[in-house]
Amino acid sequence: MSKTLLKVENLTMKFGGLTAIDDLSFSANNNEITSIIGPNGAGKTTVFNCLTGFYKPTDGQMFLNREDKTVNLNKFSDYKIAHKAKVARTFQNIRLFPVMSVLENLLVAQHNELMVASGYSVFGILNLKRYKDKEKEAVEKAKYWLDIIGLTNRADDNAGDLPYGDQRKLEIVRAMCIKPKLLCLDEPAAGLNPKESSELNKLLKFIKNDKKTGILLIEHDMSVVMGISDHVVVLNYGKKIFQGNPTETRNSKEVIEAYLGVDE
Amino acid sequence: MSSELRTIIKDSLFTGLISLALFGPIVGLKTSSKGAGLFVTPSWTPVIFLVSACIIGRFLIGLNSIRKKEIGFISKITSRVSNYMDNKGKHFAITGVLFAVVFPFLPFTDRYIMDVSIMILTYIMLGWGLNIVVGLAGLLDLGYVAFYAVGAYSYALIATTFGWSFWVCLPLAGLFAAFFGILLGFPVLRLRGDYLAIVTLGFGEIIRIILINWYEVTNGPDGITGIPRPTFFGLPFKKIVEDGENSFHTFFNLEYSTMHRIIFLYYLILFLALITNYFTLKIRKLPVGRAWEALREDEIACKSLGVNPTNTKLTAFAIGATFGGFAGAFFATRQAFVSPESFTFIESAIIVAIVVLGGMGSQTGVVLATIFLIGITEMFRDLEQYRMIAFGGAMVLIMVFKPKGILANRKPTITLREHNSK
Amino acid sequence: MEYFIQQLINGITLGSIYGLIAIGYTMVYGIIGMINFAHGDIFMIGAFIALIAFILFGLTGVALPIILFLVLLIAMLFTACYGWTVEKLAYKPLRGSFRLAPLISALGMSIVLQNYVQVAQGARVKPLQPLISGGIEFFQNSEFVVTLSYLQIFIVILTIVLMTMFTFLITKTDLGRAQRACEQDRTMTALLGINVDRTISITFILGSSLASVAGMMFVLYYGVIDFYIGFLAGVKAFTAAVLGGIGSLPGAMLGGLLIGLIETMWSGYVSIEYKDVAAFSVLIITLIFFPTGFLGKPDIEKV
Repeated sequence: MSKTLLKVENLTMKFGGLTAIDDLSFSANNNEITSIIGPNGAGKTTVFNCLTGFYKPTDGQMFLNREDKTVNLNKFSDYKIAHKAKVARTFQNIRLFPVMSVLENLLVAQHNELMVASGYSVFGILNLKRYKDKEKEAVEKAKYWLDIIGLTNRADDNAGDLPYGDQRKLEIVRAMCIKPKLLCLDEPAAGLNPKESSELNKLLKFIKNDKKTGILLIEHDMSVVMGISDHVVVLNYGKKIFQGNPTETRNSKEVIEAYLGVDE
Repeated sequence: MSSELRTIIKDSLFTGLISLALFGPIVGLKTSSKGAGLFVTPSWTPVIFLVSACIIGRFLIGLNSIRKKEIGFISKITSRVSNYMDNKGKHFAITGVLFAVVFPFLPFTDRYIMDVSIMILTYIMLGWGLNIVVGLAGLLDLGYVAFYAVGAYSYALIATTFGWSFWVCLPLAGLFAAFFGILLGFPVLRLRGDYLAIVTLGFGEIIRIILINWYEVTNGPDGITGIPRPTFFGLPFKKIVEDGENSFHTFFNLEYSTMHRIIFLYYLILFLALITNYFTLKIRKLPVGRAWEALREDEIACKSLGVNPTNTKLTAFAIGATFGGFAGAFFATRQAFVSPESFTFIESAIIVAIVVLGGMGSQTGVVLATIFLIGITEMFRDLEQYRMIAFGGAMVLIMVFKPKGILANRKPTITLREHNSK
Repeated sequence: MEYFIQQLINGITLGSIYGLIAIGYTMVYGIIGMINFAHGDIFMIGAFIALIAFILFGLTGVALPIILFLVLLIAMLFTACYGWTVEKLAYKPLRGSFRLAPLISALGMSIVLQNYVQVAQGARVKPLQPLISGGIEFFQNSEFVVTLSYLQIFIVILTIVLMTMFTFLITKTDLGRAQRACEQDRTMTALLGINVDRTISITFILGSSLASVAGMMFVLYYGVIDFYIGFLAGVKAFTAAVLGGIGSLPGAMLGGLLIGLIETMWSGYVSIEYKDVAAFSVLIITLIFFPTGFLGKPDIEKV
């Protein structure tokens, strides 16, 4: 199995006259955490939106290497990226289903397997055992993740009632419920206090090591970036200006020039 | 006089001035016909009444806010009802169903009350059907009456052409309606909320105009008559019986009464409505039902989890349409005649009002809202237009004060507690 | 050929009326992002007020041009009150609510207005004796005589005058600037000290005034109104607004003219019974395939 999980080649994204991403190439490896950093407006979320099928790139290719084959992400649009290509993401502004319970949020993530098991609802209506078993399995899986982030006792509460830090964690494990090969996290540490940030680090390391999922991370919080990244890609004005490991990045002249990093 | 009081008085007078401008011309200067032309009759009494009501009302609201008391008593009532429902919801529902079952045999239930009840149950079924589309999936469909019409007309055409029984024609009517639901749904589902609403409205109107004008098939404004009356599993409800034939009353050795057919119709619609309800309750707990609610909450998040938004919405549309079609089939057999007049945009608006008022997604809410809206206004039959003003006003008030509707505390479809206890 | 020119003239006249209503839709959409479902009924109320004013002035001996001018002002003034009230009661409390809330509220308001007029004025249609008659005839020697009526000239010229005044208002005055700022970013505009509530109210007032002018024209042109005209005209004008590009004022006028022409041509050449089906079909096709319209800006949702 090759080491490279994600290979982005010459990615360009233009909106009318504005070039948000300009000829960007980088790669992310399996079982590694790759952080994308850069000043605001550098194009980081745009990269995510291209990777996860929300924008159609103006130019360039994105390849995902899975055990069995290499998949061209350009060919998938919105929901298929999660369903078929197995790329999951979280959002800058948390997008949970606020009036649904924590457990329900995690079950929605397992929608496609459950749909098949319910015979596209037919078996479900008929209360067949086949579906009920699969549903039990899905709840167990949700329980598993809730235990890891310590929210088991809040499983039946509305997701919108959770404190901010817990909502972030929930969004991440919800994304994990689709069993992704690549997990894209958009500023997961935003708004977290130092204790919560270190819990986040632990969670991400667990995902990387135990779940063998590659993680792509957009972050401003340098304690998270430096603490857990294996690899860092630095963007500015839509272009890559540096890539390397965290120490190299911290000492790079270009990076320091581009922006004064926020040291926590 | 405190400055606050002065402000309130100023506001009230300003309100009075505006209301004078509003009601003066339209209410105060009534136009009526005289020969070929119109003349204007001043009619100041209602204007004075309305303007005073506005001034006083504004004054009271102003006073209320000085005392920092909220106009919360409506909220308090509805919260109490909501909480009661949360705790006793199931009991209430079961009692309600039992009551509905014995209803026709209660002493005060006469022909008129039965007719009203049948109408209420029809609207409840339509409300439950639309609840799937609007309440669960969050798709504002302003053309739901189109599926009602397709169901009614296809039932009418099939029954009058082929003479098949109700139980054969009913699923066919539903099928046609579902087909239209998919036809309508397919192009429109990627539209945003407000555009979706307008497009569905457009579809509803197109169906109605076609029904009026396509004389060859639908008989135009005259409608289709002679739809076979319902039978009790083959036994007709006829008064005069030929030799060798049986009618409902002869079979059961009862004295003939028109009430037999009415009661049968009542149980028929009750049965259909309960099926709709059962189906909805069940499907909410299935992945597709959860996906509907998730889509309603946040479509982008759904897509990021691999949920196919188009198929999911299309399913909601089709299923909602099917139940609308069933209701239409019932309507056709009950009336024995269908015409485009019964399928105007106002009907769609009424059903939407029922769902919104009841609390989007709440089954019991739909029941209460229907009984309230239809039942009470039936009592004031003569005040037909006032009823509509009240409808519209209720929609605005509910949105302003309690956008989630009267009974909108959502219960999760599955709990960890339940799961662990199994 | 002559028949075509007649349809053209009729279409442009009808289009002017739709365009004036469409401006109201597009302005409100531009500034608070909602479809004012009740706007068509505001047009209807404008028509009624104009009708009543015409009848009352008809009793006096005042000269026609003065009547027209006064009725115009009166209709604008009173209808503006309706527009202002509807906004304050049904939309303002819902700013920031979930997306469907203002739409449902608007729907409710539309039902209220229609039935309110029906109760107050009766359900029968209301006729008005023609006030402006006569016109210029062309092609008198051919089979089909094309008539350009004085009323049609009046409508088109009035529309042009109003559009010019309006464009000036939007582009050159402080109010217009405030309005455009609110369209872009309400919070920031408020932070800069502009009274956003007032700007929004004024938007509604302007839209309603223009709709009332359309109402007055409708009364004069068709000679008969009822409480239901708002629904149809509203849908068509909304289609016009989308077709021209929702949020764009010249777009609204352009869309109005297009819809007017489409409706007239369809009635003239294909079928008059199904002309409303044509209108609704254009609506559906536009919303599905062409939602940004001709002059509109594409709406990209931020992820």
